[in-house]
Amino acid sequence: MLMCRDLADIASDYIDGELTSRQNLSVKMHLMMCKHCRTFIGNLRASTEMMKAHSSGRPNEEFMRRIDERVAEALKTWEPEDGDKN
Amino acid sequence: MGTKAHPDPQGLLIDELKLGSSSAYKEAVREYSPGMLAVARFYMDHSSAEEVVQDCWVTVIDAIHKFEGRSGLKTWLHRIVANRCKNKLRSSNREVATDFSESLDPELADRFNATGRWDLPPKLKFHESADTLMENDALSGCLDKHLSALPETQRSALMLYEAHQHKSEDVCNILDISASNLRVLLHRARQKIFLMVETFQETGKC
Repeated sequence: MLMCRDLADIASDYIDGELTSRQNLSVKMHLMMCKHCRTFIGNLRASTEMMKAHSSGRPNEEFMRRIDERVAEALKTWEPEDGDKN
Repeated sequence: MGTKAHPDPQGLLIDELKLGSSSAYKEAVREYSPGMLAVARFYMDHSSAEEVVQDCWVTVIDAIHKFEGRSGLKTWLHRIVANRCKNKLRSSNREVATDFSESLDPELADRFNATGRWDLPPKLKFHESADTLMENDALSGCLDKHLSALPETQRSALMLYEAHQHKSEDVCNILDISASNLRVLLHRARQKIFLMVETFQETGKC
């Protein structure tokens, strides 16, 4: 029988749909009976979503502009491999 | 190397990059640099990471003709960044050995009793939505602090998988790890973030 500790051990695999159907079923059965594990799974999922939202910030335009300059400089002396530059 | 007709915009962009089109580079820089910077930032500090991304774009100009499209362009670029970062770390002896043996975080493992049931169950449900978080500077700062305290491998795995939504297979390729090790890294990193958010919600402290 799946215990709370076992469930915590495979919680990310459950969230990502990486469990076998048999494992998935035993997690679902456990979650039906266990309030604490339902909270845990919900909170683990919520923290993952927060992390995702937190990390999706974009670098500033100044940084992009510096890359453009480096690329433009490098392109000036660049020779195409097969002479197919128009 | 001839230009083929591509039904997909990425194929067209790649062809234009191979021809050295500066407007294609500008487009690609805007599309892909955020992800590249995220890969690099989790290996090194911000200014070194920016430096690496700039260097990588210069490398791309010479390397793009070798790109055969077996992986997506994003994955290919991220791999270039990851390799350059790893080389830099290797040359400064900053490599970190990772232990993949235990997937449960010790702090979380301590919250179960001998029978495997919760001893210290989670008390609160996290109510903050991801969007609310973006407006909570204290929590956001705390998340920053804890993300940067994660071991490099956990951080990279988490970032590539969650924030840049790579498939598991691509993350394994970029980081040179097996699928089962990726699962361990992701789970460990998520538990750390879970524990951090929990402490923050319960005590208001980071």
